[in-house]
Amino acid sequence: MNINRIATILGLLVIALWPLLVHDVFYQRVGALVLLAAISASAWNLIGGYGGQVSVGHVVYFGAGAYASLIVFTRWGWPPLAGAPIGVAVSLALAALVGTPTFRLRGHYFSMATIAAAELVRILASNWEVTGAAVGLMGPPVPRDIWDFSFTSPVPYHYLFLAVLLALLWLTWLMQRSRMGFYLAAIRGGDRAARSLGVPVLRYKLYALLLSAGFTSLAGTLYAVMVGFVDPESGLGILLSVKMVIIAALGGAGTLFGPLVGAVILVPLEEATNAIFGGGGTGITFIVYGAIILFVARFQPGGMAVIWRSLTARTQASRGKNRAA
Amino acid sequence: MLLEATGIIMQFGAFRAVNGANLTVTEGGITGLIGPNGAGKSTFFNCVAGDLVPTAGTIRFKGQDVTRATPEQHARLGMARTFQVPVTFEDMTVAENVMVGAFLRHGHRHAARRAADEILGFCGLDTLAGSRAGSLGTPGRKRLEIARALATEPQLLLLDEALAGLTPAEVRLAIDLVRKIQRRGITIVIVEHIMEVILSLTGHAVVFHQGQVIAEGPPRQVVDDPGVIAAYLGGSMKRVRTPTP
Repeated sequence: MNINRIATILGLLVIALWPLLVHDVFYQRVGALVLLAAISASAWNLIGGYGGQVSVGHVVYFGAGAYASLIVFTRWGWPPLAGAPIGVAVSLALAALVGTPTFRLRGHYFSMATIAAAELVRILASNWEVTGAAVGLMGPPVPRDIWDFSFTSPVPYHYLFLAVLLALLWLTWLMQRSRMGFYLAAIRGGDRAARSLGVPVLRYKLYALLLSAGFTSLAGTLYAVMVGFVDPESGLGILLSVKMVIIAALGGAGTLFGPLVGAVILVPLEEATNAIFGGGGTGITFIVYGAIILFVARFQPGGMAVIWRSLTARTQASRGKNRAA
Repeated sequence: MLLEATGIIMQFGAFRAVNGANLTVTEGGITGLIGPNGAGKSTFFNCVAGDLVPTAGTIRFKGQDVTRATPEQHARLGMARTFQVPVTFEDMTVAENVMVGAFLRHGHRHAARRAADEILGFCGLDTLAGSRAGSLGTPGRKRLEIARALATEPQLLLLDEALAGLTPAEVRLAIDLVRKIQRRGITIVIVEHIMEVILSLTGHAVVFHQGQVIAEGPPRQVVDDPGVIAAYLGGSMKRVRTPTP
């Protein structure tokens, strides 16, 4: 069995058993937040990593999922989870609307257009009464039944998030091996060459974006279900888009487990700085993000995935040498 | 008639790169496009391949009007191309690069892999199948581009200076490959600078000068055409006609 497989199994095992390994609620909560961040970053990874289209506006899909779940609760008294399909539907429509024109832009221009679209939505939501304007929306204050999925312990959330993350990673794995995975890699390698080989570039970018937006929206719903509150800053703030990009880039964009690794590093770091420097330390969070952007851009654009690959290559080489000796 | 381009004009602002060029390609042969730098060969080539939509003129492929068709539609119809500067998908392996082309006709991964393996063997790249494509040098990349294009199972293959930048030994290997491709029943149009290649490889040469076709016919005959010599050497025919023993 090779070292990659062992590391993957061990890592997944620790993540799966985390709430049982630690008893402190704070650490259990961090575990659930890691998984939630891993879901949205893995969803971003489909278009941003595999497709190479760096969207910095993915928070619109996250926000659609978060708001949809709390809107169905405040308007009709439905359990927040029931907002998930609505959030996904809205996100797919938004993705088609945003993607069709912006995919004609390249590189930085594409990223800037996605930021603009996301900020526009944030400002609209801040002024719309249905989304609770600047005040935001609340979930059920006390759970009415099991369908509200409202618990004081983070453990049920941990397993709900884990199930969604595994489903997403499994889909990503299938995608990676299919025609779509090859076509996205070709698009990343060069639009013009890809088209000359018969790759319908715009169509495949759109497929990847739709898949990505759907799962990002699901992450938004899960967030709202767990936290029970959303406002324009926590549901549509630009920092959330940036966070998805940073987590994926830190772990390794365009790799299956990269975003999960990135989340395992970044989320505890962020929680630690918040705990040390006091809550609401968004200023510190920005500094941490900035430091990570610098580090990844300067030293390792491929993220931790590349570091890992070179490390394992070295151990395998030394093992080979020992065998020869 | 496999390919028929008539009256192609390509205007960039005030500059007319191609000025009413015609080209007919019959099935099975190798046609060479030659001409001095800036003659409009590459622009014309990109119009035929669907990368540029000509300002005027029509292009028919297998009887179908493809003047405004996209590059991906060209590929689907059976016209493949390579680029002057190879565009390798560097992060993928050599085999995966070829599989991208093979996926056009084969939906499933295993079928695409089988088709790619056959092409890799045909192009003599089978030993490099698992290497990262970014590790290849220029000759390998040029060969990989051809393999990738072949994997789309074309009837017409357009080669844009596929032999430029190769050493004489590599050129001979590449010429062998192009001949093998022709024997597979694939029609070839090649843009080339190297006269030796055109003379030994093509059955029909088309000479471009200032955006127009100034001569065409069997390559031996074409290179002796006074107009062609003038175009290449700016009028001093005497230096070319040095006494031959």
